[in-house]
Amino acid sequence: MSASTALNLGSLCSSVVNLPTHYSHKPSLLLHGTQSQQFLTLPNTVLKGFSGSRNMKSAVAAVDSSDPAEKQETERKKYYFLVANAKFMLDEEEHFQEQLFERLRLFGERDKEQDFWLVIEPKFLDKFPNITKRLKRPAVALVSTNGPWITFMKLRLDRVLQESFEADSTEEALACTPVNLEFEKPEKWTAPYPKYESGWWEPFLPPGSQTSKV
Amino acid sequence: MAAEMALLKPITKFNTFNTTTTSRLSNRRLPFTVRMSATTTPPTSKPTKKAQKQGIKESLLTPRFYTTDFDEMETLFNTEINKNLNEAEFEALLQEFKTDYNQTHFVRNKEFKEAADKIQGPLRQIFVEFLERSCTAEFSGFLLYKELGRRLKKTNPVVAEIFSLMSRDEARHAGFLNKGLSDFNLALDLGFLTKARKYTFFKPKFIFYATYLSEKIGYWRYITIYRHLKANPEYTCYPIFKYFENWCQDENRHGDFFSALMKAQPQFLNDWKAKLWSRFFCLSVYVTMYLNDCQRTDFYEGIGLNTKEFDMHVIIETNRTTARIFPAVLDVENPEFKRKLDRMVEINQKILAVGETDDIPLVKNFKRIPLIAALASELLAAYLMKPIESGSVDFAEFEPQLVY
Repeated sequence: MSASTALNLGSLCSSVVNLPTHYSHKPSLLLHGTQSQQFLTLPNTVLKGFSGSRNMKSAVAAVDSSDPAEKQETERKKYYFLVANAKFMLDEEEHFQEQLFERLRLFGERDKEQDFWLVIEPKFLDKFPNITKRLKRPAVALVSTNGPWITFMKLRLDRVLQESFEADSTEEALACTPVNLEFEKPEKWTAPYPKYESGWWEPFLPPGSQTSKV
Repeated sequence: MAAEMALLKPITKFNTFNTTTTSRLSNRRLPFTVRMSATTTPPTSKPTKKAQKQGIKESLLTPRFYTTDFDEMETLFNTEINKNLNEAEFEALLQEFKTDYNQTHFVRNKEFKEAADKIQGPLRQIFVEFLERSCTAEFSGFLLYKELGRRLKKTNPVVAEIFSLMSRDEARHAGFLNKGLSDFNLALDLGFLTKARKYTFFKPKFIFYATYLSEKIGYWRYITIYRHLKANPEYTCYPIFKYFENWCQDENRHGDFFSALMKAQPQFLNDWKAKLWSRFFCLSVYVTMYLNDCQRTDFYEGIGLNTKEFDMHVIIETNRTTARIFPAVLDVENPEFKRKLDRMVEINQKILAVGETDDIPLVKNFKRIPLIAALASELLAAYLMKPIESGSVDFAEFEPQLVY
């Protein structure tokens, strides 16, 4: 799976990598197909606090915004998103879930890095007061670096707000506030099949934030 | 309303009106509708050796082949004439279709033939007809989209390419179904059908409304069956159902494209005429599906479904989806709507019963007249029920009040 190629630092950067001590080997996070190279920052200082492990395969930083890692020279990327309240995004739109799993499956088949995430209560919303004033909370955003795909998803979902922003790193872009989500059973259920289970969104959460949802 | 005519044996005076109804579209995306040949004509004998399906038996129920005013289509999407086309949405759709999620998905295995051999008795006939009708319907989509892809190449290459990619999907679906027929020692001669079938003409506007609905209803039908069988696997008598989850995403995407096409022509969405047409097409499609399915209830019961509950669920969900684009939809969750549908089923059954009697055609027609009048009256009443205001947030007047 792409995670293993992502782990190969040799292919990502030839220079020494700055890793904070407490982010040691966390292979389980990498199974979610993260773009771990985006968590690596190119150093302009000598490596600091690196635990000395020569195993450079675990260069994953969590999304915790209290991350003390220095933000070195980075690529500024554009992130596109759609946002609506959590009930709509995660509980009501079952076809949405199917689409995301289909896309994840495709990325796996074609060995592509995951470039789309679901972010629950994203911090970047603070930058968009015009959105937050008409948003029910908790809110969930679909974020991607693939602009046209977000445009397509807007066409599909329709009842969402669309915007974009730039960020220096994926961890910054996907920073969020953990929220416990529980949805009530629907009053009316007409289908001859059971509802999709809660928690289906786990594989799409930004790396690092899944653990708090278990 | 003409839609219900699709369920009746051909009555000459209604025939011409029928060519502009949505009967095809309701049938096209209804893979489980079975040709209603049983009422007056004996079912065509099915030779056991591999054979061509007997020549074209055109009836009101046979999935139709469609054509449209291609010149008008070209004008609608001509990028030079229409500076307001939302290129971003079409480019996004093009990327999505180019992705080709199901490129490697439609692969058969030996399970198919083995399962087909086990299906005997009346269920076999029902299955064959299901495969045949579905294949014809998918193929019909293939032809229309292919032609549109060809015709729009110069005037709007992006839209043209999307149509071509959709025809790729339809060809895949049709091919898969035709191979399924071979499990039952039959095959559709698609080349022959292309040349010999009559084509029904629909203006572009009607193609949009109707095809949007038929794609979306197709998605809901397939996914409902898939999820039901996933929860109740003992009813999966033929492996094709296992493919439905991925298959129906194609249908859903096709619907999205028609959504974008309509948004590119806001005159189809933003006035009182648009609302009336929206309600008309919703009603036609829902009623035709309901009546068709209730006639073929053995199939649904054969896979463990309660036909009416299945249909109501599909109608409710399709309606909810359609509310994201059509400016008005029907209040399908109002219990009166289902009551009307059920009354229509009863009337339809009586009409069919008339067809089965030994009376001469003239007498039959006379007997049918009051029944048809009753059916028309129910349809009209359903049409006049208070609709639900709806539409894309991109256009809706109520958007500023929305909280997301």
